[in-house]
This record gives sequence, structure tokens and C-alpha cells, in this order.
Amino acid sequence: MLKIVVCMKQVPMVTELPWDEETGTLRRDLAAGMMNPACKHAMEAALQLREKYGASITAITMGPPAAEEVLREALAMGADRAVLICDAALAGSDTYATSYILARAIQKEIPGCDLVLCGAYTSDSETAQVGPQLAEELKVPSAAYAEHLEISGRTLRVRRLVDNFRETLEMECPALITVSMERYDPRYASFAGLNEAFAKTDLAVVDAKGLGITAVQLEACGSRTRVRRVFVRSAQKRNVVITGAAANAAAEFLDKYQRKISAVIGKSIETKKQAQS
Amino acid sequence: MQYNPCVKHKLIRASTRSFAEAELAPIAAEIDQQRIFPREIIEKMRELNYFGLQTPKAYGGAELDSVSSAIVVEELSRVCAAVGLCVTVHNGVAVYPFLRFASARQKDIYLPELASGNAIGAFSLTEANAGSDAGSVETTARKQGSNYILNGTKIFVTNGGVCDVALIFALTSSPEHKLQSSVFIVESKYPGFLRGEREDLCGMRANPVSSLFFEDCSVPEENLLGKLGDGMKIGLATLDNGRLGVAAQALGIAQGAMETAVKYARERQQFKKPIASLQTIQNYIADMATEIMAARLLLYRACDLKDAGMPFGCEASMAKLYCSSVASRVSSLAVQIHGGYGYSKEYDVERYFRDARVTEIYEGTSEIQRMVIARAILSQSIL
Repeated sequence: MLKIVVCMKQVPMVTELPWDEETGTLRRDLAAGMMNPACKHAMEAALQLREKYGASITAITMGPPAAEEVLREALAMGADRAVLICDAALAGSDTYATSYILARAIQKEIPGCDLVLCGAYTSDSETAQVGPQLAEELKVPSAAYAEHLEISGRTLRVRRLVDNFRETLEMECPALITVSMERYDPRYASFAGLNEAFAKTDLAVVDAKGLGITAVQLEACGSRTRVRRVFVRSAQKRNVVITGAAANAAAEFLDKYQRKISAVIGKSIETKKQAQS
Repeated sequence: MQYNPCVKHKLIRASTRSFAEAELAPIAAEIDQQRIFPREIIEKMRELNYFGLQTPKAYGGAELDSVSSAIVVEELSRVCAAVGLCVTVHNGVAVYPFLRFASARQKDIYLPELASGNAIGAFSLTEANAGSDAGSVETTARKQGSNYILNGTKIFVTNGGVCDVALIFALTSSPEHKLQSSVFIVESKYPGFLRGEREDLCGMRANPVSSLFFEDCSVPEENLLGKLGDGMKIGLATLDNGRLGVAAQALGIAQGAMETAVKYARERQQFKKPIASLQTIQNYIADMATEIMAARLLLYRACDLKDAGMPFGCEASMAKLYCSSVASRVSSLAVQIHGGYGYSKEYDVERYFRDARVTEIYEGTSEIQRMVIARAILSQSIL
């Protein structure tokens, strides 16, 4: 039977969150958490694959103890089991460290898995890096931003929309796919499912030691990026007064702003001006 | 008692909130103004167990605890109180009496239908001359062969316009010819079950609150709930439970109104700064948040007592009394923070203000709640 792993992340439920001035990281403690929206689509993709082909689904996440919530939600949606990687020593991991640890956890906890699904990106940091990096760590082929998946034998067929082109790729399992939010609208978990998810005991909690990651390895695979500065991008408004005769003023206005106007309306107004002149 | 939410309660809240914000928020204002019962959304809610919140799994329900159930109603009402009302009345006062008082046969017939939302439930006690004075019901049920023949009029029936099963309180005569009230399970398809016009109410306008008329409505005798003459007992026990639901609804309205006001106070500029930076507005926000927190703890404690199998009537009345007054105060302050805009239907806060008011009236007025609480306190020898 197909073994599917769905990687997920708990993100803050609000879009704007203050950050810690010293560390440059988000003050996640100030907001309620939720399953990252794209991860929910990945979970839905796994459920639909299971309905079509039969599969076992394991949800996995790395985070603080509160991240248990997204795993319970995954169980409520229909995951068969869940793994929480929880270790204070792993706090603040960047995408490189995260993918290293996830890879070790998948290899240890779900050996022989056929397909790893991730959300294409998270709503908090939006790097979209963990999926592709995890594929490198696992040494499996991957494709990002998938909107449809089919499996025939060991061949995975992936449809995705990239740069306005819809392309179909094929690869052999095991593989890693990041799922976009275009399709696979996630189902809501029923209350019976939510209640059931807490009766299930299939939630394993592992730490770095449990995964066989030594302090030396942790040091070596540690975060290679560092947040130097976090700031609010500010937009300034400025009033500009153009004086003179109307025709001249209009010409001056177009001269100064035609590129900006073109960008806003989505087509060039330069040719019009030339045609008029 | 837990003072912090457990993972399960957090998840129930998050799940209901995401549903309410995705499905109800876009239509809440329109269905309020147009008085539309949102059947398509109700269909989706059926599959997610919104109509079998505390019904046992054996009957197709979700078998949630009472705090979870309160959280669901709270989160629905935070976005759309009229839909919260439909759910809390169905679960709290239509399904609950079945769980407490129905025979095994009645449970087998009705609970699967109610828990799946295939049948929407209503609870029908109030009449023109029987409001707070619940003992003055005039609807009659006359025994005729193996049926009871119901005659009378019920008013202000929540879900009345759409209900498939209603619990009707009617006067019956005991073998000693003494008049007492009894409860009947009445299906809307029974001949003589007639619906009146929908009420044109101040708030909760998306709920089809209406009158029900019974004209020689024939109800099989096996549809008597509990025993003959159990009406008052069933009514009081059911209202204790219903009050937890209305308290949750009021709490949700208060929370929604506060969040709306806080957002507005951050955005609204006066004197060249957001009004949230003014101390007066901050005082309002501090009072709203404190009262909401107190109301929430009071409600969850009453729910905990119920789940522990302890008496919870007095605490349910306290929660209902306090949560509803908080809903009214907070929604009024929220309008005040919005200034003139808060008095406009363009802004959600105007709807919260209208919806809040009735929580001080239905399921026992605040005056009746005080009576219940005072009686309980005065009957205790040690406080």
C-alpha cells in the first residue's frame, strides 16, 4: 500500500504579528495557531490519493508542544498517524536545518515511504524552501506547486502551473511534491472526527536524540541563515502639483507618470501618445 | 476545572472559526437584512455534526463535552448569531430533552434524524399568555383513542419556519381530571400542524422565528415525551441546558463586537492619530475585554458542572444573566467606538448591537434568571 507522508507547519492565525526585536523572529506566542493553509491542501491531496488508490497517511510536523494541534487536526481530517518532532534544541531552525531534521525523522519514523507531500509555502515566512530542500536531503525527485496528482504503478504524474504554462511531469516514486492552493480545496474536519482524533493514541513525539541526531550533527546541520533586520516596508504618499496650461500640464503628467500608469492598468499607454502626436 | 483551554478545545474553536469566517462571514449581513435562512450553509453544517454536537456517537452525533459545545455556539455567533441561534436551539433545547427524557424507541426514531440535521428541531413553550409564567400554557392535548389531539397557538418559535420536529408543551388532564402540562413530539408533517408568518424581529433576522398553530393536530400517544404531566419538569431541566447555549451565543456576540471595535479603533484616525491611542477608547476596550473574560469563565464553569453530572441550574442562570448583559454592554460600547458609522447598517457592529438585545430576553428573561439564582442562594443554609 502507498505510504504517504504529509509535512505540515503550525502558523499564527493572524496575518500581522509583532516580532521580537532582538531575534527578528515572530512573536508566535501572541496568536492562536492554525494549520498552514497550503499544508491543508497537501493533506487534502493525500486524502484524495488515498480514496483513489488506497494509502496510509502520516502527518509530521516540527514545532513546540502546541504544534500537536495541527497534528490532531490532520488526524481529524483523516490521517492514520502523526509524528511531532519537539525539542527545544531545535528551536529557531532555518529552512536548511528544518529540512535536515525532517528528512531524518521521515527516514526513521516512516521508512520506505513512497510520497512526501508539503504545502507549497507557509503563510508566515513564505520562503517555499523546505519542500525542495527536503527532497534534496531525501535524495528523491521533486516538483513544486502541484495542482493535480495521479499515480500509475510506481510512476507519479504531476500537473502544475508555472509561469503561466501548465505542464505535466512524470517521476518515479519515492518523490516529494509541494502542493499549491489552486486545487485540492481542503475538507473541514467534522466534530466527530475532531473528537475521535483525541481518542487516537497514534501521535508519536520524538526529539533530536530519539531521531539519532547527535549534538555534533546538530551543530553541523545548524541554521546557516541569520535574520539581520526586520522592518516594516513603508509607503509614502506625496502630492505633486502640475501647473500651467491644460495641454502642457497633461503632457508633463504623462511624461512623468506614463510608466507608472501603464504598470497599474497593465498595458502600455506610450503608443497612444505617439499615435496622437 | 481548567482555566486554560486544552488542545481539544483550542482545536474545536479554530475549526469552527475557520468554517464561520469562510462560510458565514461573507453572507452574515445580507441574510440578516433579507431575512434569509441560509439552507446551503446549513447543508454543509449537517455533514460536520453541527446538529449532533452532544448526541452520542451511537445515534450519529459527535458526542462533544459541554465546553466544546459552548465553544461551537460561541464561534458561530461571533460571526453570525442567527445561525448560532439555530444550532443552539436545535441542540440545546430540542435534542437535549430526547437525551434526558425520551424512551429507547423515541431515541431510535428521532435522534439519528436530528443528529444528522436531516430534521431540524424546535422547542415550543411560549404562548401569548405564557412567557415568563410558563405555567399558564393554554394549548390543549385531548386524548382520543390512541392519539392526542392538539389545539392552540405557540409564538416566537425559534427555527419555527423550518423545523421538522417540535417539542410542544400542552395541557393534559390527569386520571384525576387535574390539568397539568405535558410535552409531545410533533412532526411538522402531521395534519393540523400549521406555520405562521415569520416574525419581523429587531435582531436574529436570518432565523425563521415564527408562530405555530395546532388545529386538531393528531399526535400518536407514543409521542408523549416522559410521563403525562411531566411538562414543567422537562421544561425547567431543558431551559437550564438551553441557558448554557444562549450564554455561549451572547458571549460570541460580545467577542465579535469587541474585535470589530478594536479593529476600527486601530484604523480610525481622529486628531491625526488612531482613536485607539486615546485613553477613553482604551478604557472601553479594557472594560470590554475584562467582562468578556469573566463571562467566559463563568460559562465554562457551568458547563464543567454539567459534564461532571453535578447540579448546574443556578450556574447556568448566572452565566446566562451575565453573558447576555455583557453582550448588550459590549455591543453598545462597540457602536459608541464606531461613532456615527456604528449606527449604520454598513457596519457589522450595528447587527451585533441588535442581535445582543434578545439574549437578555429569551430562554428566561434576566429578571427570571435573578429569581432562579436568588432562590438557589436563599435555599442554601451555608453560603
